Amino acid sequence: MDMQMKRGLLDVCVLAAIRDHDSYGYQMIKDMKPYVSVSESTLYPILRRLEAAKLLTVRSVEHEGRLRKYYHITEAGKQRINAFAEEWKELLSIYRFVVREEKYDD
Amino acid sequence: MTKAEFLAAVEGCLRGLSQSDIQKSLEYYSEMIDDRMEEGMSEADAVAAMGPIPEIVNQILMDLPLPKLVRARTRPSRTVRMWEILLLVLGSPVWFPLLLVPVVVAFCVYITFFAVILSLYVTVAAVGLGGLLGGIGGALIFAFTGQGVQAVLILGAGLFCFGVALLLLFPCGWITRGIVGLSKLFVRGIKRLFVRKEKTR
Repeated sequence: MDMQMKRGLLDVCVLAAIRDHDSYGYQMIKDMKPYVSVSESTLYPILRRLEAAKLLTVRSVEHEGRLRKYYHITEAGKQRINAFAEEWKELLSIYRFVVREEKYDD
Repeated sequence: MTKAEFLAAVEGCLRGLSQSDIQKSLEYYSEMIDDRMEEGMSEADAVAAMGPIPEIVNQILMDLPLPKLVRARTRPSRTVRMWEILLLVLGSPVWFPLLLVPVVVAFCVYITFFAVILSLYVTVAAVGLGGLLGGIGGALIFAFTGQGVQAVLILGAGLFCFGVALLLLFPCGWITRGIVGLSKLFVRGIKRLFVRKEKTR
């Protein structure tokens, strides 16, 4: 898969993992696992990039005597998910068209 | 490998970055290891689950902005001695132009990407606005001199140019997105040079 496309997809997956409730790194990896395998080393730059772009915010919460970072999606982050969904609607219709053509060729 | 050894190794590989960047990375990996251990994983297994250290370091470095990465990778890891400074100064007529060439070439390539985008939009604006203003101006002149047919003709040509310019905005958008994607790949290519250099050190 194209590198840029994969980066964009993972960004949206991470945002989707915190869309309904705030979450922390390891929980996000577990939530995404059935759909996409993301390692700790892959997730870290994504979180930093999304934070820099103000698509999510971070807060530290005390947990079992240590600090755990919770990530919260911003309005801009939600808009990014919506924009992604719109773009993919269009791509899916192209995909259906292409697959239909291939079936016709067979 | 224990958690402390793992974090010390990552910290060592990130030397050259700002203290705050290093701290954030260490906090992240420390939290990830603690979370896995909390679920019952052994310390060694939790550390192993983080993946190979070179991969972790590469991911962090590749996501840094280019100037930050260059600064981090070119910062000496120890105090530079006096004779080394002297050698650098004396050798500058040789190394400085040699260093300048790739920097200038990279800068020119980057500028070229955006010059192409700018030229596209300037061309479209020239066709659209030039056509529209020329058409209206020409039509008015012809109208005042009593040449009605020519006035309508030149106005139609102007409006045609404006319409063509509006249609050209779509391919311009596609080309711009392509060029921006290409420029990102170019910057990633340059970054990879610095990250690879670190790996082979």
